[in-house]
Amino acid sequence: MFGRILIANRGEIALRVIRACRALGIESVAVYSEADRGAPWLARADRAICVGPARAEHSYLNAAAILQAAEQTDCHAIHPGYGFLSENALFAARCVQQGIAFIGPGPDAIRRMGDKAEAKRTMEAAGLPTIPGSRGTLEGFAEAARLASEIGYPVLLKATAGGGGKGMRRCDGEGDLERAFAQASLEAEKAFGNPRLYMEKLIEGGRHVEFQILCDAFGNGVHLCERECSVQRSHQKLIEESPSPVLDASTRKTLGERVARATAAFGYRNAGTVEFLRAPDGSLYFMEMNTRLQVEHPVTEMVTGVDLVAEQIRIAALHRLRLAQDEIRPSGHAMEFRVNAEDPDNGFRPDPGTIADFSPPQSSLPGVVVRWDSAIEAGYRIPPHYDSLVGKLIVHGPDRRTVLAGARQALASLRIEGVRTTVPLHLRILDEAAFRDGSYDLRLLARSGLVRAV
Amino acid sequence: MAKVILEPIGTVRERFLPDEEWRAQRAHMGEMERALGSRRAEVRSGWGPKYEARVREKGKLPTWERIDRLRDPDSPVLPIGTLVNYGRTFGEDRRTAPGAGVVTAFVRVHGRYVVVIANDNTVASGSWWPLTPEKIERAQEAALRLRIPVVYLVDCSGLFLPEQSHTFPGRVGAGAIFRRNAQLSAAGVPQIAGVHGDCIAGGGYMPIISDIVYMTEQAYMVIAGAALVKGGKSRKITSLSIGGPDVHVHLSRCADQRVPDDEILLDRIRAEVAKLPSPGWDYYRFGAEAAPPRHPAAELDGLFPRDYRMAYDMREALARLVDHSLFWEMFPHVGQEMICGVGRVNGLYAGFIANNPALTDHPVHRDMKRPGGILYREGIAKISQFSRACNDDGIPIVWIQDCSGFDIGPEAEKLGLLGYGSSLIYTNSTNAVPMFTVLLRKASGAGYYAMAGMPYRPVLQLATPMTRLAVMEGRTLAIGAFNTRLDDNFNVVAQSPGEADEIRRGMQAVEDRIVRDMDPVLAAAQMDVDEIVTPAELRAYLEAAIAMSYQTIGYRRIKNPRIWSLHDLKILSG
Repeated sequence: MFGRILIANRGEIALRVIRACRALGIESVAVYSEADRGAPWLARADRAICVGPARAEHSYLNAAAILQAAEQTDCHAIHPGYGFLSENALFAARCVQQGIAFIGPGPDAIRRMGDKAEAKRTMEAAGLPTIPGSRGTLEGFAEAARLASEIGYPVLLKATAGGGGKGMRRCDGEGDLERAFAQASLEAEKAFGNPRLYMEKLIEGGRHVEFQILCDAFGNGVHLCERECSVQRSHQKLIEESPSPVLDASTRKTLGERVARATAAFGYRNAGTVEFLRAPDGSLYFMEMNTRLQVEHPVTEMVTGVDLVAEQIRIAALHRLRLAQDEIRPSGHAMEFRVNAEDPDNGFRPDPGTIADFSPPQSSLPGVVVRWDSAIEAGYRIPPHYDSLVGKLIVHGPDRRTVLAGARQALASLRIEGVRTTVPLHLRILDEAAFRDGSYDLRLLARSGLVRAV
Repeated sequence: MAKVILEPIGTVRERFLPDEEWRAQRAHMGEMERALGSRRAEVRSGWGPKYEARVREKGKLPTWERIDRLRDPDSPVLPIGTLVNYGRTFGEDRRTAPGAGVVTAFVRVHGRYVVVIANDNTVASGSWWPLTPEKIERAQEAALRLRIPVVYLVDCSGLFLPEQSHTFPGRVGAGAIFRRNAQLSAAGVPQIAGVHGDCIAGGGYMPIISDIVYMTEQAYMVIAGAALVKGGKSRKITSLSIGGPDVHVHLSRCADQRVPDDEILLDRIRAEVAKLPSPGWDYYRFGAEAAPPRHPAAELDGLFPRDYRMAYDMREALARLVDHSLFWEMFPHVGQEMICGVGRVNGLYAGFIANNPALTDHPVHRDMKRPGGILYREGIAKISQFSRACNDDGIPIVWIQDCSGFDIGPEAEKLGLLGYGSSLIYTNSTNAVPMFTVLLRKASGAGYYAMAGMPYRPVLQLATPMTRLAVMEGRTLAIGAFNTRLDDNFNVVAQSPGEADEIRRGMQAVEDRIVRDMDPVLAAAQMDVDEIVTPAELRAYLEAAIAMSYQTIGYRRIKNPRIWSLHDLKILSG
């Protein structure tokens, strides 16, 4: 087992990894940018090292600085968290070459899944259904036009190197296509350095259902059930829950096992999430795979009882997966609410500032467990350079109805003063009928009128 | 176009060996097998259950279990050097070093043969005794000659210091192990090392030249142990803290990967071997399939007369070593005291050269017969040319010895057997094709040399419990020593019965002394033979030896059978 791990991240996920290290008796080394000097989570690590100025590209994305920090502190492994360098195949390869374990999959798996068009091809070959669309990336506008008329409008143009909605354009007809193609390519080039696009049929009323998988280095893979993440604003998730209200046990079992087998078969290692789009008719189509720990992983942890970060560390240290598929039995229901320092009434403009006062969420309902994954404290100044996630409120209960009630209590009890947050929005979503009865889809927020600019 | 037609040889046992004789011979071999078995078991138990328990207490696997986990479930374990140092004790404490504290064996991993070199962690923490380096080097040599991957399972505290003057400085001492590592690497032979425990000094150097090195959490590699580090005590240095995976996997990169325990280390080594090229042997079967001998190899244990001077039919032995019991004998009418020809072992061609112990016709004096097991001119010429042809054709050669030596006397000298013998030795000394020697029964004098005995560098030399290896047979030696008291027919000439008795007793003593010398266990203990196996085990060893000769391609000549030199010889032999 590793003696010392460097955490190449910040905020709540850094704290999460530090906690896992502590539980395993591993020393933790945190890195920070100058903007995060003195941040509350740093004191919880055994050591902290400054890796650069505030801007992420000079600090948290500065592979050379992070690798040097790991060398200087004699770290045996690096946990990249999510975002930043977590899906950077080059970074993973540089870790390996320096004899530092990268807690995640191998560089090749990252690269293959990072190219969305190639990922689709790989999963198709592994027997997973994919959305009708282009085979690989589009050569040019002419091909796009031809394909679009074949599969039928509306279609979606997506950046192959992309994610999070950038480089994506919807086209409802031939008239839109040329401009959409040009705009999407440009945006993709700017955001990801790769202008190439692929096309998919746009499925209206789809739902985002993703499976959590864990694979070890010995070819064993298991799934830890699914999460529903259809409450999204501009392709950013706001609320996630497990299990999905719309998936039955038999589909969960069959599809989950297929997913676990497919990922283990192409040599995937460590934690990963396989995302599907569920069409209104119930068909599930593979969308993409995220080769890292996800923000919403606590939802799966509450329902399965598995400590995903600990399992990640063990797998990276070449331990065998100690969970067999039939030992993973989900129990109860869980929801996560992402609390961002944003103004939901003002186009979700980030609201960095100082947290004047803070008290954590709680619920007194029997059977309800509230988990607050956050690194903030009263007096904490949110720097403007990074994402606006302040904390994750996770609620677990014996069934969905109880969780809804417990979530309401918890959200109401959560007090963050000094910055605007998305807590009021979450409370409003809890009142939406489609959310309450579980019939919602990806259009929920847009249709609800709860948000103005989507 | 020349066809290669192998003909059936051998007969059903009942037809040439009556039941009573068979049972008696089988029982006699059975006794010898039991003695061999108990010696093997003795060596295998290392220094005993207490030491094995110590290994397990640390969460480690004993060495033989490591080998079991490494190999394929259907792979045999074929050790060499099991009896090295047998019967030797060291120092005043009279310690033993069973197997010289190391296990060297051939096993299959993912279908590929590998040479495993594993320190015996139940014998003085796997340290190196006199002959340990030589035993390791012998296994490395086989790997180098056949280009077979080597797996080192290192668990070795370095030289056993009280005996260091025998193991440290010499040409074949411990330093030569690392030289061999380098030669193997330079020849492109894969070497994979797993470090399971303490590896100090020599032990520390053992894995480093290997292509990939795994370490368990308990393993450490150090140039010298913490005990020798000045100030080590106050700084609370341990060998693990300065040389464990924390240092070597992550800082110095002297090792590649850390693993939690022995079991996962062995699984990872298996995964590495699976990346290596698949074996070439299916390609070189030239359309044939592997097949066992039609006459069972197990019958070899009952084929041989108890009296080593008695003859038997060597073709019956060969029939029980080759696939389908098919054999292409070359020159059967010339040099009948030798048998040579081509058979298949698991579908792969091998050349066999064996003594014929039976009486054969004199080539000139047609009404005379002469004893077998001896090298005469025609036999020498025949096997000389066959050896050359097999080398030319890339056919591995198996030498099977039951030989009391060269012919002697005026005829032998006049015919120039010194010359013919030297020509054979020249050929064997300069052959590139792999050769394997089996000392089936007698292996005497120049005959032992001429038939590719150890100095002629067979890749492996095997003995059986029947082996009698010496410069001459006991009786011959006694005759030489007491020559002045014997007549023309070597009978005792004495003044009185008492004197005759005394002479006979004297001759017996001389004979007995050399018979003790001939004990194959002595030879095995000294590494003059690589392993003692029962006749029934020969087939398994040959299967491995021949398969290994065809496993790696691209480094040695392998002619397709259409263009063998053997075909030319067949025509010339009329």
